[in-house]
Amino acid sequence: MLRMFRSVIAFVGLLQLAMLVPAHGQANDDAALRGEIARLAEADFRGVEAVVQSLASTGDPAVTSVLRALRSGDVYWRKSDKLVVIGEKAPGRSLLLTDPLTGEEIETVKKRETKKVKVNNTLRNAIDAALGGLTLRASDPAIRMQAAAQMFAKPEPKALPALDAAIAAESDPDVASAMRDARAVLILKSSEADKADALDAIARMVARGDAEARNALASITSDDAEITEGAALGIEKIDTSLRYWGYGQNIWQGISLGSVLLLAAIGLAITFGVMGVINMAHGELVMIGAYTTFAVQEFIRNSAPGLFDTSLFIAAPLAFLIAGTVGICIERGVVRFLYGRPLETLLATWGVSLILQQAVRTIFGPNNREVGNPSFMSGAFELGGLTITWNRLWIVIFALVVFFALMFVLKRTALGLQMRAVTQNRAMAADMGIRTGWVDAMTFGLGAGIAGLAGVALSQIDNVSPNLGQSYIVDSFMVVVFGGAGNLWGALAGAFTLGIANKFLEPFSGAVLAKVLVLIFIILFIQKRPRGLFALKGRAVDA
Amino acid sequence: MTQALVKRPLLNTRGIIFLCVLAAVAFGVPYLNGAGALPDYAVSLIGKYLCFALLAIALDLLWGYCGILSLGHGAFFALGGYAMGMHLMREIGDRGVYANPDLPDFMVFLNWQELPWFWWGFDMFWFAALMALFVPGLLAFVFGWFAFRSRVTGVYLSIITQAMTYALMLAFFRNEMGFGGNNGLTDFKDVLGFDLQSQDTRIGLMMLSALAVAIGFLICRAVVVSKAGKVIVSVRDAESRARFLGYRVEGYKLFVFVLSGMLAGLAGALYTPQVGIINPGEFSPANSIEIVIWVAIGGRGTLIGAAIGAILIAAAKTVLTGLYPEAWLFVLGGIFVFVTIFMPRGVLGVWDSMVDEMWRLRGMNPRERRLKA
Amino acid sequence: MRLTGTKTLSMIAALGMGVSSALHPAMAEDETIKVGVLHSLSGTMAISETTLKDAMLMLIEQQNAKGGLLGKQLEAVVVDPASDWPLFAEKARELIEGEQVSVTFGCWTSVSRKSVLPVFEELNSILFYPVQYEGEESQRNVFYTGAAPNQQAIPAVDYLKDQGVERWVLAGTDYVYPRTTNKILEQYLKDSGVAAEDIMVNYTPFGHSDWQTIVGDIKKFGSAGKKTAVVSTINGDANVPFYKELANQGVEATDIPVVAFSVGEEELAGLDTEPLVGHLAAWNYFMSADTEANDEFITAWQEFTGDEDRVTNDPMEAHYIGFNMWIKAVEAAGTTDADAVIDAMVGVAVPNLTGGYSAMMPNHHITKPVLIGEIQDDGQFETVFETSGLVPGDAWSDFLPDSAPLISDWREPMACGNFNTETGKCGSAM
Repeated sequence: MLRMFRSVIAFVGLLQLAMLVPAHGQANDDAALRGEIARLAEADFRGVEAVVQSLASTGDPAVTSVLRALRSGDVYWRKSDKLVVIGEKAPGRSLLLTDPLTGEEIETVKKRETKKVKVNNTLRNAIDAALGGLTLRASDPAIRMQAAAQMFAKPEPKALPALDAAIAAESDPDVASAMRDARAVLILKSSEADKADALDAIARMVARGDAEARNALASITSDDAEITEGAALGIEKIDTSLRYWGYGQNIWQGISLGSVLLLAAIGLAITFGVMGVINMAHGELVMIGAYTTFAVQEFIRNSAPGLFDTSLFIAAPLAFLIAGTVGICIERGVVRFLYGRPLETLLATWGVSLILQQAVRTIFGPNNREVGNPSFMSGAFELGGLTITWNRLWIVIFALVVFFALMFVLKRTALGLQMRAVTQNRAMAADMGIRTGWVDAMTFGLGAGIAGLAGVALSQIDNVSPNLGQSYIVDSFMVVVFGGAGNLWGALAGAFTLGIANKFLEPFSGAVLAKVLVLIFIILFIQKRPRGLFALKGRAVDA
Repeated sequence: MTQALVKRPLLNTRGIIFLCVLAAVAFGVPYLNGAGALPDYAVSLIGKYLCFALLAIALDLLWGYCGILSLGHGAFFALGGYAMGMHLMREIGDRGVYANPDLPDFMVFLNWQELPWFWWGFDMFWFAALMALFVPGLLAFVFGWFAFRSRVTGVYLSIITQAMTYALMLAFFRNEMGFGGNNGLTDFKDVLGFDLQSQDTRIGLMMLSALAVAIGFLICRAVVVSKAGKVIVSVRDAESRARFLGYRVEGYKLFVFVLSGMLAGLAGALYTPQVGIINPGEFSPANSIEIVIWVAIGGRGTLIGAAIGAILIAAAKTVLTGLYPEAWLFVLGGIFVFVTIFMPRGVLGVWDSMVDEMWRLRGMNPRERRLKA
Repeated sequence: MRLTGTKTLSMIAALGMGVSSALHPAMAEDETIKVGVLHSLSGTMAISETTLKDAMLMLIEQQNAKGGLLGKQLEAVVVDPASDWPLFAEKARELIEGEQVSVTFGCWTSVSRKSVLPVFEELNSILFYPVQYEGEESQRNVFYTGAAPNQQAIPAVDYLKDQGVERWVLAGTDYVYPRTTNKILEQYLKDSGVAAEDIMVNYTPFGHSDWQTIVGDIKKFGSAGKKTAVVSTINGDANVPFYKELANQGVEATDIPVVAFSVGEEELAGLDTEPLVGHLAAWNYFMSADTEANDEFITAWQEFTGDEDRVTNDPMEAHYIGFNMWIKAVEAAGTTDADAVIDAMVGVAVPNLTGGYSAMMPNHHITKPVLIGEIQDDGQFETVFETSGLVPGDAWSDFLPDSAPLISDWREPMACGNFNTETGKCGSAM
């Protein structure tokens, strides 16, 4: 299998040499290409691999679309006449067939009448390598960039001359730099590279300094003492810097985990912290937010797929409203009978949580539901040695925005003022003409609505299932109690402290023990500060 | 919850009725079973309910009389259960699938070479039985000593007890802990030479459980009616005031907490052989919340009510999961909401007000009557 | 207050009556044969098990449409053990003693099975267990229609080795199935010359949702210059966040493929599979299997559930096989009596959905093909490798020192689930 892979690459290398010849015969023999493509029908993996290499060796840009379709599994052959086509999904379990070279539509058939040309990972790698070679000199710099990255990730020394030529012709400095990186890897991989070249390459990799560069240095094959020593020194250097970046990565992951905890806990900081209701249905309100996101996305998928990227912007206010409404219903229907009996709110809201869970199970089914990431929340970027995923970054930002918006509502609006008045002294607030019942409902609704917002964010990283709420409820209580009930800053500090502590413990102790240690830490911490990190002071405390 | 000024007897009428009912169950169930009126599995089921009843009584002593709401009582129950489970595992001896005389099966296939130190001694029944009380008691003592000395109270205390049971659950899930991980301990064969699969053993265990409930009830009752019991209630009602009057509040709380933890451990030790499995799921915070709900439904601060609540809810779960497998959570959740809102004093509270009303109709002041009783 | 109180009391009284009626054994009705369905419909396992309950209801309905069994109709008895392990045992007892079921299909996860085992043994009834598991068990009353480790894990590792993988991450949820499977795999890899430093083992708790650190570690482990693969025994619920993190951190199947043993079509339904194309799973059935029987099964299933996007998965096929085997054995024995059916079961062969016949072996495991599939962008798997013949399930792994000498054969005269070939005794030979 491996040898096979090598030979493919060899052909790719040859092809790249061929590409250096300018004014490539444009009137490439269509029939020959079609003949090759036809061999895809009924081919096994080896057969497909052979076709890929011979297609690549033609050097005809026309084959890139076939190779791309093959890579994404869109090449089929018709059972009736073994015609190889590109298939596009059409409604009703059928396929729209198009010609692989011209892209002309042929017909729409039932899926059962075709058979897919299967690809596996080995083949995908081979196709990637072929595409990398074919597109190294494409006109679009983005594609050239991709090709350079492809070569970097899957280096093959034989492609060196083609790469050198591409570098010489390259005008875009970023792409040229990426190509030089790729070239360095190729040189490190090849056994007969020039010594000076190799040392240059090592220097380049050390300067790059990331895990891939270390990988390239580690896989060096030369037996020259100077080169191996240089590589070893380089690895050491990279390792040192990677270790420091590792700490940074831990902090980032801690912040990210903290932001998830903050989002989950912040609604509870209102219902539990401010109002004193031990709201066991809090997790289910989060779940409602997540299911709202699912419903919105489902609606968009079916009616306006183009708007998918905006789905979260639609889902967020909707989740706030729906969860908030459910919250107000809970408050008016259950909790309001229980003021002054805080521990009993625990029992009633526990009952509510069971009902909500089962309701969601009945309506949406017990399975996980698919909530997709919009494009701006997919993937990751590198910041120095840090890998930061977009969805986590957005969640951190979202958590902070929600937090400060809530702060604003509590401190700067009339409703916030009334909320604080009612929780501090209900009787006096009522005497001042505040409709305490209305304020209670609004406060609870606000907490519930924020739980719904948390659900929108959590749907991006976790399961959307009826169990979603259960998995966050205990953590949420820990955050609020650790931070000090009744103080939003406490929730903020608590969430980030616990998140970062967890992430620093995890590499040493493993995920399970890290969580246990954090819980023990909370228990001990409460002994030291029985009212949490930011304790409320004054007479209200003993109430 | 009026506190009578006169010294109350260990057993009032209601207590006597409760003990009589227990005795009736202990002897009636085997009789009915023998006569074919009750299926075999109902006996274990009743045994299980009785264990829950004891657990609920233990929590009621703590919550109903001392005002400490523990959201982690499942931990003491589970620890007691594990202590007994460890003995039952050792009892299997070389009858396990790998026929290893010392190591339980799960240790054999996870390549443990020898028995870890914390399993030593559990081959002796008396040791395991002692540990079933001692380990939960010790945990309660250490935890309570820290928490009460630091004056952690109210909701904060409830939440850290929840943290305690959650941490224990995660820890017991780990296979490295040596307690069988997620699978827990199972496949028990016999206890003290009695075959656990035989109906006679089951009846015996059920009767033992009834006896344990009776003893647990009497112990709690003795605490409640004693002089210390009055201090305990005063701690519940006004902790600061009790402290200013010179009582060592921490000591009283710690005593109740440890006693309650040990009773929970006893319930767990009786539970394990009857259900045939003990696993980390028993530590889950949800289970502990359920215990609180039993007490609230039965009537907080009544001991007997707690037992009734436990049996009612456990039985409801048995019936509903069979009758309405898809909708039973609606019913159960609905009951919880309904009871907390409309029956704040639980089932027993409703009973009380009905009885009071009856007496009032007959022209007698209910309070006077109760004082006489 | 008084009024509501009385109402409540009467409600409680009604409940009490419910208890007593439930405690009485239902009179054995002769008109129907009762089939117990013991799958969690609430709690954490409801995600996976509800589907199996529906699948059983469909199979029973189909059988009844065909005229039932032994001239009688089948009747499903569904209960909810609520993902609560002791409750599994209690419900099993209720099914067998109370409802007098002839056979039970159910359980998911080893602990639920371990919990009900003594019940089935004591009351001598039959259980069909449809999920892949760690092996190390063979019980007279249980038929294991899911995969044993040699029917899933080992062929998957063989395939990856063939694809040039030299470095291995064994990642799993911390419970007995991953522990045992990884133990077996570690031994197997070491036996085939993989160095200890090329194997990384990692365990996470149930429902783990923050995978940042672990995915980061996997990336680091995979950047040592050798082709790396992840063998995942991560349990259902934790998979969605795991795969989301993989996709976002840019771990592609062409670089570091992940082969999973607990991720099927049902789990993928909760995921956007676009970024996951090429990651693998090893099962004995994929919904994409191109056979007539499978097409019929899928159509029937989608009709039954009224949802044309509903997927099928491996444990459903296991129930399909198990149910048909039971039907066949009952017909052969002419009775639903447990002993007769257990004796008739061994050797029964029924068609599976991937175009072959699965047979019940003397160790109560079945023969199955092993399929390795790659995830596609439509949430389906595409088979990239298939064992040439059927693989018989091995109850006792050859790669664990203590279980290597054990074999299982429930036929007379051996009739033993753990016969030790070294001592020549059955188990502890009491």
